[in-house]
Amino acid sequence: MTHTMPRAMAIAVLGALVGVGFNAVRRDGIRPSSFAPPAVCDGESQKQAGLISPAEAASLCGRTDVLVADARTPARFAEGHVAGAVHLPCQGDADATVLALDRLRGHHTVIVYGDSTSEAQAVAASILRREPALDVRVLAGGFPAWSQAGQACASGPCESCEVTLPATSTAPLP
Amino acid sequence: MLSLGDVLANVVRAVLGGLFVLAGVLKLQSGGQFAIEIANYQLFPSLAPYLAVALPPIEVLAGVALVIPGWRRAGALCITGLLVMFTVAVTTVRLRGINVDCGCFGGDSGPITWWTVARDVLLLALAALLSLRSDRPKA
Repeated sequence: MTHTMPRAMAIAVLGALVGVGFNAVRRDGIRPSSFAPPAVCDGESQKQAGLISPAEAASLCGRTDVLVADARTPARFAEGHVAGAVHLPCQGDADATVLALDRLRGHHTVIVYGDSTSEAQAVAASILRREPALDVRVLAGGFPAWSQAGQACASGPCESCEVTLPATSTAPLP
Repeated sequence: MLSLGDVLANVVRAVLGGLFVLAGVLKLQSGGQFAIEIANYQLFPSLAPYLAVALPPIEVLAGVALVIPGWRRAGALCITGLLVMFTVAVTTVRLRGINVDCGCFGGDSGPITWWTVARDVLLLALAALLSLRSDRPKA
């Protein structure tokens, strides 16, 4: 069958052209030039987020332009988190990631924390890469330091996170 | 008279073709979401929007070609190529330990597990067999 390979190529080329045409006419089409991949958890950034102590972070709590973001697993978040914190869905579906990034944009300062300083640093760096104008801080010592300092904590799943993965999984940060 | 092998091949073509048409249509419906899911694989994120535009219609056309006499082998070869790409992608995601949504059938396809890899390998084997098989039944 000498026609097989050219015909397979024709299917691929025709499909790609149909895709380009269809994408051009649809209202919610993808615009490659402005497409920015979600990068909450990939840790690739030149900028380093500054550290913030639990006491200093607590003093910022309640300000509407400050957001506290939990970079740990959904299970760890449910066990206990900084009161009022949102969960960053590092392992969740793309919907949740987009939702979380939209939330970050409405704030001046974002305080990211993990179970340790280093766990949150990679996530904070990714946020900075995507939203360089944000004042991103990493909670020094992570959640253990926060709870040891006697600051306000809450428990229960993040209601708006919609994380689809098993609660026992762990997030490998590159 | 069709042999048992021809009947089986036609059944596999119909199932595989239907699966690819369904996957392509669901991905087309999810639009920009599919681009984000490809980017989440962290393989070639800059290619994600282009792949998201091109892949779904290729899947639909290849799925349809799989049941059109004269185009069956070409459709099977095209699907084999796609499945090689998909299998490599999901396998590297598992090996790197990244937890991302599969995006195999548009949004809410569930996370990538070793079952996803096994399914892709099985489909790849079937598509490869079909691409080697003669398009017409033996006289």
